[in-house]
Amino acid sequence: MAAIELDTTKNAVPFDRANIPGPKMAKAIKADLAGKLISKARRPLLIVGTAGADDGVILVVKRMAEKGIPVAATGNSIKRLKEEGIDATYVNLHALVSYLKDPGWKGFDGKGGYDTTIFLGHTYYYASQLMSTLKNFTKIKIISIDRHYHPNAQQSFGNLKPDDFLKTLDMVVAEL
Amino acid sequence: MAIKKGRFTIENLENVQINIGSIVSSGEAETPEGPTPAPEIHDLRDWDMKLLDRYEPVYSPVCDMCCYCTYGKCDLTGNKEGACGIDMEAHQAREAMLKGLTGTAAHSAHGRHLLNNLIKRFGADYPIDVGPSNLKAPLTQTIMGIKPETIGDFIPVLDYIEEQITQLLATAHTGQEGSSRDFESKALHAGMLDHLGMEVSDIIQISCLGMPKSQEDAPLVDIGMGSIDSSKPVLLCIGHNVAAVTYIMDYVEEHDLFDKIELAGLCCTAHDMTRYNKNAKIVGPMSKQLKYIRSGIPDVIVVDEQCVRADVLREASKLHIPVIATNDKIMYGLPNRSKDEVDAIIQDLVSGDQPGALLFDYAKVGKLAPELALKMAPIRKEMGITALPDDEEFKKLTSSCSQCGACVIGCPQGLDIDKAMEAAAGGDLTLFEELHDRCIGCGRCDFECPKGIPILNVIEKASQRVIREEKGKVRIGRGQVGDPEIREEGVNLVLGTTPGVIAIVGCPNYPDGSRDIYEIAEEMLKRSYIVVTSGCCAMDIGMHKDDEGKTLYERYAGRFLKGNLLNTGSCVSNAHISATTIKVASIFARREINGNWEEIADYVLNRIGAVGLAWGAYSQKALTIGTGCNRLGIPVVLGPHGPKYRRAYLGKPYNRDKWNVMDARDGSVQNIEPVPEHLLISAETKAEVLPMLAKLCFRPSDNNLGRMIKLTHYIELSEKYLGQLPDDWYIYVRSEADLPLAKREELLKKLEAEQGWKIDWNKKKVLEGPVRKVDVSFQPTNVPRLCKEASK
Repeated sequence: MAAIELDTTKNAVPFDRANIPGPKMAKAIKADLAGKLISKARRPLLIVGTAGADDGVILVVKRMAEKGIPVAATGNSIKRLKEEGIDATYVNLHALVSYLKDPGWKGFDGKGGYDTTIFLGHTYYYASQLMSTLKNFTKIKIISIDRHYHPNAQQSFGNLKPDDFLKTLDMVVAEL
Repeated sequence: MAIKKGRFTIENLENVQINIGSIVSSGEAETPEGPTPAPEIHDLRDWDMKLLDRYEPVYSPVCDMCCYCTYGKCDLTGNKEGACGIDMEAHQAREAMLKGLTGTAAHSAHGRHLLNNLIKRFGADYPIDVGPSNLKAPLTQTIMGIKPETIGDFIPVLDYIEEQITQLLATAHTGQEGSSRDFESKALHAGMLDHLGMEVSDIIQISCLGMPKSQEDAPLVDIGMGSIDSSKPVLLCIGHNVAAVTYIMDYVEEHDLFDKIELAGLCCTAHDMTRYNKNAKIVGPMSKQLKYIRSGIPDVIVVDEQCVRADVLREASKLHIPVIATNDKIMYGLPNRSKDEVDAIIQDLVSGDQPGALLFDYAKVGKLAPELALKMAPIRKEMGITALPDDEEFKKLTSSCSQCGACVIGCPQGLDIDKAMEAAAGGDLTLFEELHDRCIGCGRCDFECPKGIPILNVIEKASQRVIREEKGKVRIGRGQVGDPEIREEGVNLVLGTTPGVIAIVGCPNYPDGSRDIYEIAEEMLKRSYIVVTSGCCAMDIGMHKDDEGKTLYERYAGRFLKGNLLNTGSCVSNAHISATTIKVASIFARREINGNWEEIADYVLNRIGAVGLAWGAYSQKALTIGTGCNRLGIPVVLGPHGPKYRRAYLGKPYNRDKWNVMDARDGSVQNIEPVPEHLLISAETKAEVLPMLAKLCFRPSDNNLGRMIKLTHYIELSEKYLGQLPDDWYIYVRSEADLPLAKREELLKKLEAEQGWKIDWNKKKVLEGPVRKVDVSFQPTNVPRLCKEASK
């Protein structure tokens, strides 16, 4: 079975080769563990970048939204997400991280901030820098389920091939 | 006899000499001086803190360590403190200040070099002439409190900048400043100084070198790698400081060589070359630098300063292209040949005995560079020099690629080079042709390839068809916006009937190629925004055409009017963009500007819908230009590489107590809608940035008509590019008159149903709901002393 053969912890080097932030870098994890971590979150937020609206990936976003995970649509992903009937809130990613680091922010639903952020479908270097804000100035968990290894997350996959990426996302959702 | 500046001795008075350094003259204040002439670091601190309180700095460290002194390396992850006591926030703020100071130093040192050169050539009393303008140097007046009349009047201005840079730089030393907010205030101070230095640089060259003076119909010039006639000897000038290059152009003109030689510029020197002599051509922005050198086309390269690649000499030497360095900032280890005869230098360079020469005697540069190009061209042609592979070699190179993906990981843009390589090996070049515009030409891929494939050369070889078609037009840099234009347009701008000014500036580190910048400009022009541009962006905007083959410069006029496209010129001409807002405050609103930065910045923040877009910003100069705009109350948007600058200034619309201003009529405090929402922010894509630009043009002073127009564009752009009515559209509605006419009823229903507002449906009026009601006489200010009650 693919679930046994696919090791998502391989090739865990920054996708931008020189993007080595410092002593604290993401732990490379397996897909099922990512799914379990997300399912345990009290207040998760799925943050979907422009590439999160790509074919294949968007179906995973839809399934995660259907599991009750609120979706923040950054970049211009909101257009396709809405077309797919996914309930998402548009927000600029840079602004969102500033809200997330504010203890006074009530979240999109007014019920309070989020304890876990899940990044999917972002321009690599852009998301990396904004994960750095969360990493250094908040206690929020950062789980990257993107295709490439993100050192500024707490948990991330290694660099995955496109087909393996979609299989990996299926495995994440299976654990929710 | 009138006493002039200078030095004299009194006869028979031995060993006594009286030096007159500064005399009260036209270069001094002529109108009452404001509270902060030539401000020290702390003088505008209160203003900075007001900005920083509303627009909180958000840090995104590139490196989680501090490697600044030998106490370290210190791990600051999680905002820990280092061995000296500095925490991550303060360290990041210090980094932002240091980057800003680098940019400020680059522009002001450019100004000093140019001023020394021009005073030597034209004299310190040479008058300033910027075109139809009484307000000739708005930034100088606002910051320094003086009105310069001659180029020599800028000497104390540069003295002031240099002193302030030293003071600011000192605070970065270990064991000095420990507050992130104060580092930010210092960064804002550096940004302001940067605009001052840029203004000096451009005004003196406009005045002395016959560049266009507020010329709205400046001529068009050719741009693009495909526009350069490579059958002629090609002399390529790279950099930002045109001082030496003017001597070359004079020599070429005087010796009727323009038909025999192709004089091309790259980066901002190119803008200034065309402003000096329209026979020059522009190769393109920074991203074309390595690509054009590697093409092997240039026969001689002349470099001056700023944004010149560090490997120009290494790359050029491989192709037998001599390099002439002309400025202290870039010397490449070359021998100083300033005192040698031109013929002797030419001989050494033609023979290849020397790869280049350092030459500070510009008269010699003027003669040497074109004569050398004429000699080198036939020699290099005979040698058949080119860096690009031939067809057979290209096939071998692409076939040898193992698709390991190292190049993709090494590419700053993460481009799918491996896929393009695979397709090219099968004879399909389309992926490389598409990739060519998105490639920023940095050459990092070459160093990553384990098989040693010269990837950048492969990209260029594969893209020869599209490179041949890279021909566009740019309107020559016009310089300042003239006073008559401000008088004509000011009222529209302040009242909001012109929806805004979008300043598209900065470098070519675009996330998805240069076409986006063209499309952003086109979209805003079609919507009657005034689009102002400069530097590399001004070049890239001119590289693309519509279906009829016309560039935006050919389709849109260059006056400071709604729906017009203005190219101010090179990087230092960015000062004219910020200065335009000062001109509006001074000429249109009759605000006193001398030594009065805070009041003018307050006016700009609250009333002028101007936004900067540095979509491809990469340089320290771009950061400091943006920071200077921020201190003047102008929001700036960056592309997705922007967070690598480590700091943004972001507002929180939900934090209502941050959105208070005073009404200058009586000092009462009003809670306003969050406008402008941010001061420095980034966006991920073109589709995301377009509605954001429209939104950031909102100002508290908008009248109903202005707000309606601005809101219409915000909603339309959001619907077009993000596929939805913006979630926050209602926040900006103060009455039914603010609503877009075509959607008024529909939106009123939404306000009632979704926001719980009370509507009088008979009169179709909003009764309850908005943050505040519009008041046409409202005078928003953040400066208490400007309130009438306070002044009593």
